[in-house]
Amino acid sequence: MKRSYLIVILALLAGAGVFVASHQIARQFCARNLARADDDLLWLKQEFRLTDAELTRIRALHHGYLPQCGRMCERIAAKKSELEGALTDETNFTAVAEQKLSELAALRAQCQVQMLRHFVEVSQAMPPEQGRRYLAEMQRRTLGFHEQIEQSMSESAGHAHGHH
Amino acid sequence: MKENCILPEDETLRALLREARPAPSLPPRFEENVWRRIERAEAADASWLDVVARWLMRPRLALAAVAVVAILGLGLGWQDGYQLARHDAQIRYLAAVAPSSLR
Repeated sequence: MKRSYLIVILALLAGAGVFVASHQIARQFCARNLARADDDLLWLKQEFRLTDAELTRIRALHHGYLPQCGRMCERIAAKKSELEGALTDETNFTAVAEQKLSELAALRAQCQVQMLRHFVEVSQAMPPEQGRRYLAEMQRRTLGFHEQIEQSMSESAGHAHGHH
Repeated sequence: MKENCILPEDETLRALLREARPAPSLPPRFEENVWRRIERAEAADASWLDVVARWLMRPRLALAAVAVVAILGLGLGWQDGYQLARHDAQIRYLAAVAPSSLR
């Protein structure tokens, strides 16, 4: 009985070892070979099963969009530091800070419009079904986050109103 | 002492005797059947743990179990690796096209 226990426990340990080792080897091998750090568009190609011609068109759109996106990011960053300056200089919330906040919001909205336009262009370069899926996924990934926050805030506000 | 001494004539006699009484040939798969009967007799009063341990001690079964576990591990590892690579690629694309300040 004691010997049997020992055999079964050793077998279980050996099995667990074999499982963990083979799992890790396959995981690392697969992750290393499938992920290419030099290509931003790898996910698009794999997820939406793009042909080389479609990917070439999308790559051109992507490279055209990146500098615009970079310029917009720089403007947003500059506006943010202006806002921070306006907020730290005074103890009160000033008209200048309010104006900077509005400008920042406008810049962010402008950036979002530009981004969504790019998503639409990319979706049009894909087969229709994949394009719809891409657009829905990108909107969910980029705008859904805000919707979640707004929803959670309106829910908590509703609870707060209920208590009063 | 004298009786134990083997004479050449005795060897001849023994060979003759051996030929006169030939050993019957064993039935087919005799050894396998003997082992099976022994196992059956042992299994009659063995617990499930003993049965499992006995199974694990058989090289063929142990190898098969190792192969199954390794294939399972490789398959699940491959699937995990694929998901990980896909997730990383997705994050990379999102970071390129959608600034984090907008997300």
